[in-house]
Amino acid sequence: MNTNKRTFLKTALFTTAFSLVSKGDVFASVTPLETLEVLQEDLFPHADNNASAYFSLILKHTKVSDASKKFLRNGAKWLNEEAINTYDAIYTKLSSQKRQKILQIIAKESWGESWLQTVLKYILEATLGDPIYGINKKESGWKWLAHESGQPRPTKVFL
Amino acid sequence: MKYDYDVCIVGSGAGGAPIAYELSHAGYKVLVLEKGKSFKEEDISKDELAVSRRDLFTPKLDEEKHIINDREKDGSITRYDGEEYSWSFWNGSMVGGSSNLMSGYFHRMKPNDFKLKSVFGEVKGANVVDWCINYEDLEHYYEKVERVVGVSGEVKKHSFLEPRSTAKFPHVKLEENKVTEWFDTACENLGFESISTPRAIISRSEGKRNACSYSNFCGSYACATGAKGSARAALLQKCSAEVRAESFVYKLESDVEKITAVYYYDKDLKSHAIKAKIFVLSAQAIESSRLLLNSKNKYFPHGMANNNGEVGKNLIFSAGGSGQGRFNFEDLTEKQRRELMQRGLFFNRSLQDWYEYEEKGKNFKGGTIDFLFEHANVISRASRELYNDKGELIWGKELQEKIKKQLTTSKVLSFEVFNDWLPTDACFVSVDAHEKDKFHMPVGVINLWGHPQDLKVGEHLAKNAVKVLKEMGAKDISYNISAAPPPNLVAGGCRFGEDAKTSVLDKNCKAHALENLYVTDASFMPTGGSVPYTWTIYANSFRVADEIKKVLQG
Repeated sequence: MNTNKRTFLKTALFTTAFSLVSKGDVFASVTPLETLEVLQEDLFPHADNNASAYFSLILKHTKVSDASKKFLRNGAKWLNEEAINTYDAIYTKLSSQKRQKILQIIAKESWGESWLQTVLKYILEATLGDPIYGINKKESGWKWLAHESGQPRPTKVFL
Repeated sequence: MKYDYDVCIVGSGAGGAPIAYELSHAGYKVLVLEKGKSFKEEDISKDELAVSRRDLFTPKLDEEKHIINDREKDGSITRYDGEEYSWSFWNGSMVGGSSNLMSGYFHRMKPNDFKLKSVFGEVKGANVVDWCINYEDLEHYYEKVERVVGVSGEVKKHSFLEPRSTAKFPHVKLEENKVTEWFDTACENLGFESISTPRAIISRSEGKRNACSYSNFCGSYACATGAKGSARAALLQKCSAEVRAESFVYKLESDVEKITAVYYYDKDLKSHAIKAKIFVLSAQAIESSRLLLNSKNKYFPHGMANNNGEVGKNLIFSAGGSGQGRFNFEDLTEKQRRELMQRGLFFNRSLQDWYEYEEKGKNFKGGTIDFLFEHANVISRASRELYNDKGELIWGKELQEKIKKQLTTSKVLSFEVFNDWLPTDACFVSVDAHEKDKFHMPVGVINLWGHPQDLKVGEHLAKNAVKVLKEMGAKDISYNISAAPPPNLVAGGCRFGEDAKTSVLDKNCKAHALENLYVTDASFMPTGGSVPYTWTIYANSFRVADEIKKVLQG
């Protein structure tokens, strides 16, 4: 049960490509997926997990609630807002060192900790889920942890 | 009156399937209405993403949810919307119900479980009563479950071994991990009685069911060989009862003395009515009470069979909690490491030394401790490593190194504590006045409260479990005993009893108020014993099936 993140949703706006405003001007436009693509490299660099594509799958998944999808998108927006507030640039345009600084800042906020935890769990799913979903390529995640999957393996995806 | 069927059963799990099996074999025309889909062995895989992360076998909470009223220590109530808080009380919504997904740790209730009030006396604030049947009434049916559903194990004498009419289980015990020998030695050193846990998993092939394949992914997953004694594999596929999947029963209709029809929606939300001589309700405890409460008419204005206001009352769960200890490679010999990492073999060990115990001159009803290896789900195990020792979220290299170390150089042995969740006035099922599900029916409300004695007993058991883990050499030992209800271990709501004023069902699980309505899931249980419920649900359902046969035979 996650009680914290839900409270953040009530005041959040949902946008596909969100515009970020700084000093009264539209500062930049960036999609959640562009942000998540950079973020997953910062949180859990793993060449074969294909986490970027997995986030697209999650945002369309029939068993992921609309509220969870909104939280995933809105967190990306808030991350960029924090980046602009701190460094006057969106997250994806920052140096690696500055991005880590932003992550450390938001991890101390309750929304940020909750959102990063959510993102990390999806990344672990991409790293260690069955390759039939287009993730965990060549079973590299399973090999990394010497994990033997259960048998039988899925022959179709559940979306 | 013209009937479509002799018997119509609502729900295809452990409570409904024995009725379908017995009555169809006796030549009666039986229909089973099941809300969930049908999955056969060939449909089953060990897809962690689908089963454990995306809830393949349970409804979407934005379409079907519960409201949870949690009673705080000060008596105030906090209301949780199950959708908003991702708090799910659904189990296996599928043909065979949650028996598909059980681990199959099978323990019988003990003779004293049937007479808690007589043996241990009243407990202040709890509605403890004796059952209206005793262990001897059910023993024959426990044995029948061993044969028909299939139970494997090894009978070993111990202080709380229940009386048995047979010397052995019909299936030899499953193959065990060598670490069970470490466990047995530790118990011997401590003077505890190690028990080989019986399992509802067959160890040799039988008919259409193949023997266990030791897939290493058992609990939470459906079985791909048919070895697990699910209601579908063990009963429904072996009888001629018609099973209609994706059929959600939303209402019962009656006259003053009989159920006249059940109404259900098919997957296209088209409504149908079924008329039968006898109706059996077995939709799992919370949903059975909800269906009765949602079925109001002029004869039963407060819900079917609820003119005494008892439907939904005395909801119980399995009290207790869980704990664990870690075995690190650095503390082990090479031989021990190999034993620890044997894949797929079961850790079938339990302790019942404290099924009853004395403390400060008072006798307490205790419980069971089952030991098992941490579930093999790799995403779940990795996800447990997201925080460092200071409680800070970690990522990047630090997280990757922690996951690698924990998952490849150690293994966790867990334990689960089962003790009585005492029935109280504060724990019950009702229906919500405003919230409705996708079928436009009022959602169930789960009113929660755990009696303080439940926690006290759970603590006593957990502390003894910890002694075993310490003796075995485990590190990082921890446990958590709480009043958090396990959604898959739920009973009560329609307790049976001799007195029609204080119970919903009679001793044969027929509604006092209606001639042809039976409830055979765990709803009937006034107390739950200190074991998982499934074996008792199966056994009682076989018992009720014999009673229904007598009624149909006239």
